[in-house]
Amino acid sequence: MSDTILRRVRPEQFRELILVVVTLGLLAFFATQIPGYFDPRSVNRLTVGLAIPLVVAVGQVLVVLTRNIDLSVSSIVGMVAYVVGTLLTRSEALSAPLAVLLSILLGAALGAVNGLIVAYGRVPAVIATLGTLALYRVVLVEFSGARTVTTADLPDWLNDVPSATLLAVGGYDLRLVVGVALLTVILGQFALRSLPFGRRLYAIGSNPAAARTAGLPVERDVFTAFALSGALSGLAGFLFLVRFGNITVTAAQGLELQVVAAVVVGGVNIFGGSGSMIGALMGVLLIEILQQSLLRWAGISEFARDAILGLLILLAVTADAVILGRLREAWVRVRRRDQERAQAATAGVGGATHGA
Amino acid sequence: MKRRRFIAGAMCAGLLAANVGAGVLAQEATPAASGAAVEATTGQDVKMMLLPKFLGILPFDQANQGAQEAAAELGNPTAFDFVGPTAENSVAGQIEFMTNAPTAGYDVVMLSNNSGDQIVPSAVGAQEAGTKVVTWDSPIPNGEGESVFVAQVDFTETGKVMADMALSILGEDGGQFAILSASPDAANQNAWIAAMEDALEDPAYANLELLETVYGDDQSEKSYEQAQALISKHPDMELIMAPTSVGIVSAAQALQAEGLCDEIKVSGLGVPAEMLEYTQNGCAPEFALWSFVDLGYLTYYVSYMLATGDLQGVEGETFMAGRLGEYTITQDPTRPDVEALRVLMGPFTVYNIDNVEEAAG
Repeated sequence: MSDTILRRVRPEQFRELILVVVTLGLLAFFATQIPGYFDPRSVNRLTVGLAIPLVVAVGQVLVVLTRNIDLSVSSIVGMVAYVVGTLLTRSEALSAPLAVLLSILLGAALGAVNGLIVAYGRVPAVIATLGTLALYRVVLVEFSGARTVTTADLPDWLNDVPSATLLAVGGYDLRLVVGVALLTVILGQFALRSLPFGRRLYAIGSNPAAARTAGLPVERDVFTAFALSGALSGLAGFLFLVRFGNITVTAAQGLELQVVAAVVVGGVNIFGGSGSMIGALMGVLLIEILQQSLLRWAGISEFARDAILGLLILLAVTADAVILGRLREAWVRVRRRDQERAQAATAGVGGATHGA
Repeated sequence: MKRRRFIAGAMCAGLLAANVGAGVLAQEATPAASGAAVEATTGQDVKMMLLPKFLGILPFDQANQGAQEAAAELGNPTAFDFVGPTAENSVAGQIEFMTNAPTAGYDVVMLSNNSGDQIVPSAVGAQEAGTKVVTWDSPIPNGEGESVFVAQVDFTETGKVMADMALSILGEDGGQFAILSASPDAANQNAWIAAMEDALEDPAYANLELLETVYGDDQSEKSYEQAQALISKHPDMELIMAPTSVGIVSAAQALQAEGLCDEIKVSGLGVPAEMLEYTQNGCAPEFALWSFVDLGYLTYYVSYMLATGDLQGVEGETFMAGRLGEYTITQDPTRPDVEALRVLMGPFTVYNIDNVEEAAG
């Protein structure tokens, strides 16, 4: 690794580059294995599949940055999809914007409960959200009375949303749902880079005690992060409803693990304080490509798939840690050498002056 | 059918009389031996648990309704408990309910088994502690720990019904199809798929080519993605056969979303109310099911009568199950290698554009 590059770029920025390379490598590999891998239909399936985990991941990044975790997201997605779906089947009057707004508000309310318990109740986030993960699901099971929301009962406009397209080039579509998901990523990245709230999340995650001593509103910010994660999960719940149409009480079960995995693979430090929305986007993309491609890969058995997925995630994270560790060492070495040289130069100049 | 049932009953009663020690069961065995069906003694206090694979889908709720109806008829003063795990925790959750059933004082557990043979130790434990285990919908594959299995339909027949629907949809020329099942542990789905594979051996179905079986774990989104993957993997596939109410709607939804209903059809086992739209728009021209309400009703009768001692749970006993009429306990011919008893409900209803709307209600 050339020293000049190390002088200009921080190691963390390599991480995104590595992810891009790994993702491109995977795409190239699967393209040789799966016929018609890049045909428009397959690519559209992949991009549409990204939308839901991506929106949830944006919320998850906010929470993980503060050295917390939100495991209840899948139950929030399921609850919102089911409740809003049920309301839509019962009332013709509920318009599209109102339904979206309702989804976000319901999600935010459920997220706020998490925020209260974690930020003000001082319960560790893993425990608190594991609890609400189960709790929200059980409430849903009770509420549902075992009925399924079916597409036939939903208003027609809802069934048209998944195929609504913003932009189409040669059969490759940018679907509305994907556009919405990308917009949340952009807004999220903007908030993290440019808003005081976003900067404070990094400070809180890096060192909560120091952040508190420095007078940052730690409790309020952690609470807000959870509420936002809930709101985004609520939005994802609406996307879930429009995509799958048939909603049972098990909707979105297991999504929390996929999202946490994606966020970690995307380089968001699980101990808080570092990471970006772009990284999370790359993580979601990588995991979604893996998942969907393994499903489509005829050479692989049903049972080996989960094992391969787990192995690849482990590999990605380990490789990332090892390479990044080396880079960081090299980066520190170069910096130190530069500093020493600078000091020596200053000392040399000083000595010469003294001698004269 | 009735006639054969009676003859089998009489023969088995003979065997029973020979096997059973004098006196012990004499009183109960008498009605069976004389050919008359046992009537339930109403008003007995029996604590019962209805344990589906998991909570939250329509078929199991319908079974619950049927069981409620039977409970009211039989005048059991203790209301039964309709409990179950969540879908992703189905296997471990069921085992936990089963393990704790005797301690909680249940006289009988009505189980739709989703745990394969893994449930055996806890079911045997329950039996030893005096709790009967009646399976319905999905049996314990090796029959251990199971008092009797209330089968919705003959599992061999399920295979044939699915093969027939495939043939009717694909036509005489046949074509390629794939199976989208529930979870790999589900005893009923596995038995039906095996029965269908057997049925396909028949030259009549020679043109049907089964590509592969995939699993959607009875989760909408997973089944949806599996259906999409099948479409990508097999460009010449013309049919997805889903013997699960969750899988069949998810597959139909995936095809509809991509506008592929003209090229690829969906069939299998589904609930009419959930399938109405897809049958009307041609995505799923034909599918089948039995009444889950009746299944819950019959299961409650069998379980209640076993717990009260009206039935002993031996081969050849004939009994009356309220509005459904007369049934006989027989060896389970679909599990020939193990000792297992069965009560067969039936029949299948095949739904298509002509009758789906009425059934959907």
